[in-house]
Amino acid sequence: MTFETAKDFLLRRARERGLDAEVLATSQRELGLGANDGRVDEITHAQRGGVGVRVVSAGRVGYASSEALDAASLEWMLDEAIENAELQTARGAQLPAGRALGRHDLIGEGLSAAVEAKAAAVLELERGLRADARVDAAAFTRYGESETEAVLGSTRGADGGYRNGYALLLANPIMKQGDSIKQGYDLDLGKEFHALDPNRTAQHILERVGRHLGATALRTGRHRAVFEPHVTADILALLFVSLSGKTVAEGKSRLAQRLGERIASEHVTLVDDPTHPIGLGSRPFDAEGTPARRTVMVERGILRSFLHNSDTARRTDQENTGHAARSYASTLGVSFSNLMLEPGAGVTLDDGVVVTDLMGVHAGANPISGDVSVQGHGLRVEGGESRPVDNFAIAFNLFRLLEQIEAVGDDLTWRPAGSGIVGAVSLQVDALSFAGA
Amino acid sequence: MLTPATAESLLQRARRGGADFAELYVERWRRRALRVLDAELEDATSAIEQGVGLRLFFGTDVIYAYTNDLADAALGELVETLVRLRGSGSGSGADGVGSVDERGAGGLDLRRRQASGLHAPSAPFESQSKGWRLERLRELDAGARIDPAVKQVEGRLLEWEQDVLVVNSEGDWVEDRRVRTRCVAGVIASEGDQTQTGYVGPGLSLGLELLELHPPASIGASAAQRALLNLRARPAPAGTMPVVIGNGFGGVIFHEALGHLIETTSVARRASVLCGKLGEQIASPAVTYVDDGTTVHGWGSSEFDDEGMPTERTVLIDKGVLNAYMVDRWGALKTGYRRTGSGRREGYTYAPTSRMRNTFVMPGDVADPADLFAGIEYGLYAKAMGGGQVKPGSGEYNFAVTEGYLIRAGEVAESVRGAMLVGKGPDTIMKVDAVATDLSTEPGMCGSLSGSIPTEVGQPHLRVSEIVVGGEA
Repeated sequence: MTFETAKDFLLRRARERGLDAEVLATSQRELGLGANDGRVDEITHAQRGGVGVRVVSAGRVGYASSEALDAASLEWMLDEAIENAELQTARGAQLPAGRALGRHDLIGEGLSAAVEAKAAAVLELERGLRADARVDAAAFTRYGESETEAVLGSTRGADGGYRNGYALLLANPIMKQGDSIKQGYDLDLGKEFHALDPNRTAQHILERVGRHLGATALRTGRHRAVFEPHVTADILALLFVSLSGKTVAEGKSRLAQRLGERIASEHVTLVDDPTHPIGLGSRPFDAEGTPARRTVMVERGILRSFLHNSDTARRTDQENTGHAARSYASTLGVSFSNLMLEPGAGVTLDDGVVVTDLMGVHAGANPISGDVSVQGHGLRVEGGESRPVDNFAIAFNLFRLLEQIEAVGDDLTWRPAGSGIVGAVSLQVDALSFAGA
Repeated sequence: MLTPATAESLLQRARRGGADFAELYVERWRRRALRVLDAELEDATSAIEQGVGLRLFFGTDVIYAYTNDLADAALGELVETLVRLRGSGSGSGADGVGSVDERGAGGLDLRRRQASGLHAPSAPFESQSKGWRLERLRELDAGARIDPAVKQVEGRLLEWEQDVLVVNSEGDWVEDRRVRTRCVAGVIASEGDQTQTGYVGPGLSLGLELLELHPPASIGASAAQRALLNLRARPAPAGTMPVVIGNGFGGVIFHEALGHLIETTSVARRASVLCGKLGEQIASPAVTYVDDGTTVHGWGSSEFDDEGMPTERTVLIDKGVLNAYMVDRWGALKTGYRRTGSGRREGYTYAPTSRMRNTFVMPGDVADPADLFAGIEYGLYAKAMGGGQVKPGSGEYNFAVTEGYLIRAGEVAESVRGAMLVGKGPDTIMKVDAVATDLSTEPGMCGSLSGSIPTEVGQPHLRVSEIVVGGEA
């Protein structure tokens, strides 16, 4: 069966059994080209898709999915979804009423260039990196593109689809100077292949990694700090855990009772906008078919809204913001699309540490308690001069950090982080604890 | 999952297109996950995943493609697309593969091998109902309610059945079946304005008998104890100090700081600081480090790797001397080192790379772990570790301590939370100065180029003369 016929088959069988069901089918096409020593030596060509069902029966919900589209596999998954629902205690779950949402193409011909042009781009990136004598090797140098098609339908009338995608260049070079060895990773991404510029990407990666060569130990102490946008993006993805309606509905968010209160300094305004023209994380509707719109979460430091899907909104008695997220194989969740920290007037640092990278955020940060203790790389600034420093750890509590923000940068940079795209700026913080030699 | 005739015809087309080696990886998963929050079923999922990965070698260049359209026509088109992407016939190819006639006879002389059932479950998933599973997870919840500060308990039961077929142009036809079960408890405890979490999650290559070996109530209780300990702990100090690392999951330090540096994935690209060091003293003589894919029912065990090679026990470091790298097919081609059955991948969407299986530090000569603390005036006891990260090119690593204590005057003193160990792997492994005998292993998920795969880490208690500890200054 095709995805469309599989969707229709499942909705028909669900109706016959008197159930509400929602079917989400997605398929993804990917191309990857890896360059090494002036040749494309790694090619990946991929097609993956599947169909997932969410069944609601007497206020209970169950899920199942399949990448096999034969009738036997689809029947198995429907049976499993119903059994999974029947294990639940009734909790008033329901499928939202849906409507015709249309078919949308958000990418057009953006990735239609010939594969030879894409191979030339990754080779140019590799050449650009190798041109710098300090580059010793590279873990990888790669071009990647991804195109996704989603189809949504439900027994309650939702019916729509869209197509989106992106192209990216990324590299992970190892640079040497004397005894100093540094490895770094960065990428540039765009909705269109032609928006990528391999030379610019090479220069920008060389700059980001090369400035750390010759780093010396940072002495333990408290310093004023500036987080570069890359670091801010990681921190915003971490903060999002507490702003997700799912975390609130499950009683885990420390911010749950603080709507309308100050949770951050006045410099902080945080929004999510699935309709933002930059558009890398854009979508016309969410995974339940709720049309997309902009949501202000934090306005000049005051908590205004969490992000919700229909289920978390109902459970918390708050408004559905249209942020349902789900892949065919996962359960209903909440995610941001284009999450943006509004730019400010800029940051300044005469004495302190510029934190350029964090390592180990997945392990060293507890998004629930907000306790963060992670490895950093950075630049020590003294009297307007800066020098690279490494082998240090920084420790802070995320929620206290928000109150300590003294200034916000004007250097808006879009990065993939968490499960979406983050528009981040530099952050200046009055005092932070650094542990080093 | 695939007929021999189809497999042969695809491999042959690839060879005719100039590939020196061609491999098909066919996979079908059935997975179930139950998640219980505060004794009620929060969500349950069931999934079928299936697909085919096709890998072609042109010399040491690799082309990889995957699809979950298993129709013969779709697979044929996939091979043609790959050959076209590679560009017209620069390879040697063609010779060495017999031709298949219209009946599918002739061609490759496939050598068929099947798993013997070494890790097979004694309590298969069909043996119990979903209601039975829900009751077990409710026991986990009850077991975790040991203190009023325990606010929330999450229990998860994960069941994986994976059928794998590897066929290649060298005539291997290998079928493996991997069944794994994991039960995870997550506890949130809070008191005043403090909130802390604790996780415990045993997992093995077997079926529902996991829950007899690790009763759910005790899994819940252990997670709760960890959350409560951190709740009442002081913030960790910062600075450079001696560290005693606990057994079991403490082994993640070597997984990160050493294991990833001796996979050919990084070694063959010269992207590891331990490249070209075979036979050299790279660690303290106290360290013997082993990667074993054959441990019966081990979380990271399988009878064959994802390239169809039988797994083995590989001594990586013998008394501090680098004895072997972990080598997959591509790594062997690039470096000339012998393959070690270490080609692994998350699933059909990834080409395999060299990866760890069950990796641990062997027991040392300190019979009583308490002797490791003697003589430490001030230091850290990192009893339990969380995850971590490493850059193989520079050896820099970091990882989180989830259960930590100060060491004062040779004794374990008050508990501390939020500590992070930071350093460079090659320095740290030279500074291991004593290893106890209480080896144990624990399961984890390891993420790298070929995806997220089950691995065990392990070690006895051991002492490192100094590590940078990150905490609140």
